[in-house]
Amino acid sequence: MQTVRIFGLLVTILSLLSSCTEVRAWERGYLAKDEMAWESDSLESALNDHIFFSKEASSGGNSAAGGGCGCN
Amino acid sequence: MKILHSRSLIALSTTALALPGIATADAPPTQSTLSYKISNYKEDKLSRSEVPFGDLDRYDIDVHQFQLVSPISRNMSVEINANYESLSGASPWFTSTGLNGEPIVNLSGASGIRDRRSEINIGSTYYLENGSFSANLGYSEEDDYRATYFGVNGEQHFNNDLTSVSLGFSYSADDIFPTDAKIFNRVNKEDKRSTSAFMSISQVINQFSSFQSAISLTRQSGFLSDPYKLIDVRPESKRQISWSNSYRRFFKNANAAWHINYRYYHDDFGISSHTVDMSWHQNIGRSIKVIPIVRYYSQSAANFFTNVDDFLKPVTQYQSSDYRLSAFGAISGGLNFVADLGQWTATLSTERYIANEKYSAYNVSKVSTALVSYNRISLGIEYSF
Amino acid sequence: MDQSIKRFSFKAMGSFCEVQLYAKSRIDAKQVVKSIAAEIARLEKKYSRFRDDSFVTDINVSASQRLGVKIDTETKALFDHALTCFEQSNGLFDITAGVLNYIWDFSSNKVPSQAEIDQILPLIGFSKLSFKRSRLYMPANMQIDFGGIVKEYAADSAAKIARGLGVQHGLVNLGGDFAVIGPQPGNQPWTIGVANPKEDKSLMAKIDLLEGGLASSGDYERFFMHDGKRYSHILNPKTGWPCAGLRAVSVAANLCTVAGSVATIAMVREESEGINWLKESSLPHVYMDSEENIGGVGLKT
Repeated sequence: MQTVRIFGLLVTILSLLSSCTEVRAWERGYLAKDEMAWESDSLESALNDHIFFSKEASSGGNSAAGGGCGCN
Repeated sequence: MKILHSRSLIALSTTALALPGIATADAPPTQSTLSYKISNYKEDKLSRSEVPFGDLDRYDIDVHQFQLVSPISRNMSVEINANYESLSGASPWFTSTGLNGEPIVNLSGASGIRDRRSEINIGSTYYLENGSFSANLGYSEEDDYRATYFGVNGEQHFNNDLTSVSLGFSYSADDIFPTDAKIFNRVNKEDKRSTSAFMSISQVINQFSSFQSAISLTRQSGFLSDPYKLIDVRPESKRQISWSNSYRRFFKNANAAWHINYRYYHDDFGISSHTVDMSWHQNIGRSIKVIPIVRYYSQSAANFFTNVDDFLKPVTQYQSSDYRLSAFGAISGGLNFVADLGQWTATLSTERYIANEKYSAYNVSKVSTALVSYNRISLGIEYSF
Repeated sequence: MDQSIKRFSFKAMGSFCEVQLYAKSRIDAKQVVKSIAAEIARLEKKYSRFRDDSFVTDINVSASQRLGVKIDTETKALFDHALTCFEQSNGLFDITAGVLNYIWDFSSNKVPSQAEIDQILPLIGFSKLSFKRSRLYMPANMQIDFGGIVKEYAADSAAKIARGLGVQHGLVNLGGDFAVIGPQPGNQPWTIGVANPKEDKSLMAKIDLLEGGLASSGDYERFFMHDGKRYSHILNPKTGWPCAGLRAVSVAANLCTVAGSVATIAMVREESEGINWLKESSLPHVYMDSEENIGGVGLKT
């Protein structure tokens, strides 16, 4: 339930945000750059996630989880 | 964008917008990319005062990652990932008390551990006009562990592509079959199931910055203990929640992008954590990027964490001396280089990670003696064709 | 930040190409123009039917081969767009119609015989192409010509590349096909004058463009008179004879590629149908009919 509430709040905040933004097609050049991607190097991110997953108790991020491993 | 009135115009716009030189989002990659990355991960030696007998070395792992991403039709792409790890070293076996009452780690057998892990993952993404749908299937195998998993993920853009919402689900079925189970009286074969769901929302803030927030929920059930520890008894189920936030900002004058991510995590073993990481993606000329990264992590201890195994405690009571269940903090930093050589891209990544109870943001009542520090170096190469 | 307009011109795709953009320095702008020129050159090298080493030549040579020819994502997307053009024009805008140029020689003012035309007609028809997975199978002696699509596509692609390099205010003009990179500073439109094909140096109309593109199609540059009759170079792929529709059309749309396709479809249709087609599109447009009257909507005078 808590999750639903947090997410509901998020949607509200973001829709407020978006109502005051207008970034036109020709203004999105910087956002489209490789280094602005949520994940700019997928192998690097996968490796880091794997290492942190095996050395720390926490997991979960902005994508779905993969399979488990004997390392944890 | 102009509102298109006639049906013909919609048809013409649809096929024109699918042309790779025009498409803004939601088109499969126009080229195939083959990537390979080799990494060496090496943990620092423990000191003799912490390990009275045997080998001081801990894990030394070589990781090979392969990836092929390829368009297979106008609105579909496939992705194949294969990983291979070879591991040697020792891992904590049990903890005890030294002559002066201090906790001591006993590492596994003198010959140490040798293991290999192979993983293959195949996925496909189908691109729709305003979003995408993807599914993937994976399998990983070790000498003593096997995981079969799948995931599905859907993404939809709204609000003239300024807002995106993603939903995903994944499931993993794992089998654990410890080596030398008979000799050491370990469990023979156990299993574990993980179910995970996530949703994320991304928003363009202005022409230089965007924000993403995601929540993921995971439920694990089955054998969650460590089969190699002499004593390790954990609950049979675990619920986890994590809330991740990311912000990206481009600095035009510096020609660099700044990334900051924050994650809060909590589970019903009683562990909470905060993770903050930042990186600065500096362009140098048209083909070089230098990326310094810093990360801070801290977690609280599980309710049943102990730093000295209690062999007298009934086996029905939870206890674990796994250092990953202790309260600690970790600081890490790295420096990555990316060189874009046309069809080829080369990357070099270096990282130093130090975990220490002193860095903890949470109260540390029981210190784990087995916290890791490691160095990692990776060399990657990517070819587009 | 101080930005001023910089202009560059070069030759590409057999026409005059001009790039205008606002940048801090000419060196910054030059980098952008270099990338634009490289993209246009890439598409010319890939899709020109006049080059022996182009991919289109490979496709044309592959006609009748049992294994067909493997086409990449970009080419498949062009075929998909060409199919939409074919369908929306009821078969009159056909990228396989280029073979008619073998018998219609506009330099020698020679009108082919009906027998010659009848021999060629079976080699025309987009619907005779078949696509399986990523391969194209084309009957013997048929030919593909992306000429009516690729120039507009190149202008759009060039504009997108400039945006990716951070340009916010700019315009690409590739031989009369325009793609807006971004409006002029202060959200001001670019004003494009459409030349009157009849009178040199006079304008038929002006069109304001904030975004998207503008493309033109006309038969003024290539036609001939024979026995007092005017023969347009725009040929009807169904009859093999020149179209007798509009003389010139310019259209503004969300993309230069869309504008170009709408304009070409207006030209290949019968005159009144072409005018209707333009009206129904509700896009800003201007045309000259066979009586040399000027019409259209959404323009400045």
